[in-house]
Amino acid sequence: MSKILVIDDSLDMQMALRMPLEAEGYEFFAACTGEEGLEKVKELEPDLIILDVMMETTTAGFQTSLKLRDPNPDSEYAAYRNIPILMLTAIHTTTSLRFGPDETYLPVDDFLEKPIDPDKLLEKVENLISK
Amino acid sequence: MLEQRVELEKILAQIVNGAKEVIEANAAIICLLNEDGTQLYAAAASGISMGEVKQELMPQLLLDEETLTRKFIVLTNANSDTLIADLPAGYQSCLCAPLIAGEKQIGTLCAYATEPNYFKEKKSKQLMLLADVGAVSIVNARELETLDSLRASRDKFIRIATHELRSPVTIAQSLVRGVIKGYAGKLSEKQQDVFGRINRSLDFLENLVNDLLDLAEGQTLDIAKNKEFVLISASIGRAVLLIQPQAEEKGVKLSYQTNSAELIVWGTAEGMDRVFVNIIENAVKYTPPGGSVAVSVQVAGEEIRVEVSDTGIGIPEKSIPLIFNEFYRAPNAKEGGEIGTGLGLNIVKDLVEGFGGKIKVRSKVGEGTTFVVMFPVAGD
Repeated sequence: MSKILVIDDSLDMQMALRMPLEAEGYEFFAACTGEEGLEKVKELEPDLIILDVMMETTTAGFQTSLKLRDPNPDSEYAAYRNIPILMLTAIHTTTSLRFGPDETYLPVDDFLEKPIDPDKLLEKVENLISK
Repeated sequence: MLEQRVELEKILAQIVNGAKEVIEANAAIICLLNEDGTQLYAAAASGISMGEVKQELMPQLLLDEETLTRKFIVLTNANSDTLIADLPAGYQSCLCAPLIAGEKQIGTLCAYATEPNYFKEKKSKQLMLLADVGAVSIVNARELETLDSLRASRDKFIRIATHELRSPVTIAQSLVRGVIKGYAGKLSEKQQDVFGRINRSLDFLENLVNDLLDLAEGQTLDIAKNKEFVLISASIGRAVLLIQPQAEEKGVKLSYQTNSAELIVWGTAEGMDRVFVNIIENAVKYTPPGGSVAVSVQVAGEEIRVEVSDTGIGIPEKSIPLIFNEFYRAPNAKEGGEIGTGLGLNIVKDLVEGFGGKIKVRSKVGEGTTFVVMFPVAGD
């Protein structure tokens, strides 16, 4: 059974993600802050990380992803560098950043727009885990 | 904001020019007090350049306590008076009237002459009168400025409030969608119906929040400062690409035709995208399945014309003048059951006009609607 770690500060958003993921048989774990998320990554070694952008600070999600993907070989998270990351965003309204698969400044594997469409979520999750 | 600032400058110029002319002085200067009332700064000048005023007169005026204590000053002979010793060479007479509005002094209006003993009683009275009238108009113009900055704060409030609103709406939508799709267990027919209604209300709320956000941003964004060259065909291309899936799903044919790819207009890329996404999305929304939406770009003289034509439900004649108003929706648009806030076209019009363009609409109920957006071709 694949393990999925959701890092999102909203318990309700966690619930919205949990429903479809558990229904499809994924093992669901959650963290509320970037820091807690990083601890859980080490502890659980999940198969996929779903990461929110705005948490305790507006950029906590970005910082978390940058730590996880730190190219430095001595990085604390070097062992987890290959875990795929799906980032949750509300790109259109909350940031003016132009995201895209070719953007390298933000090291994540895919994006999912909020509000979450459960079918789209499952499609992206399956895709990223099977890679 | 800018407009009001210009208004104040215009009023200051009128007063200072008027003073110079009426008093038949060689130069006139308005100095205004700073906010805490401790310093004067030169705000406008006539017959002398502002450069000269700042360098030559300001140190003198800053020390001039008498002008700060509401006294009317007449200096007749520079040779015998240290007060105007720092004037640019040649000025020998000076007349200073306090600018007083209500109970408060806001500055001074000074006139200068090269001739000694130039200002007589009549001229002093005239200057006092000008100063009284001038002070009132300066205060009015300043109040308009304050009003404008109040409007800016209101817009900022809307922006923050809507950002905060958006998050819980998004969460509720995500939860409800999970339930509707059956991920929280099988729903009865009645539950399915109820959750469907909740979902629709939430979608409306999301649209409203997004539109309010766009509106507040459009009004607070200083378009003039952020303008750049925008490739209009690229902007339309992005909008068409974004809406194509929606059109396909609905069975509406969406096509885009352009002869020249290199048309450049003066605006912001984000704003331009918003304009076309809004217009094309509307066209698809109000066109029944089987219909079509055609987007085209042409150059007519110095003007770029973008036309978005649909074979949709059309806009009733009575509604046409109202469709750009905030929150207005034509009755047949409401009846159709499509979600809309009535803010989209209001935002579009603001943006188009902000970019120096115009927007027009032709429509016939049951036949379709054409929106025409015109922009001046950006010069070199």
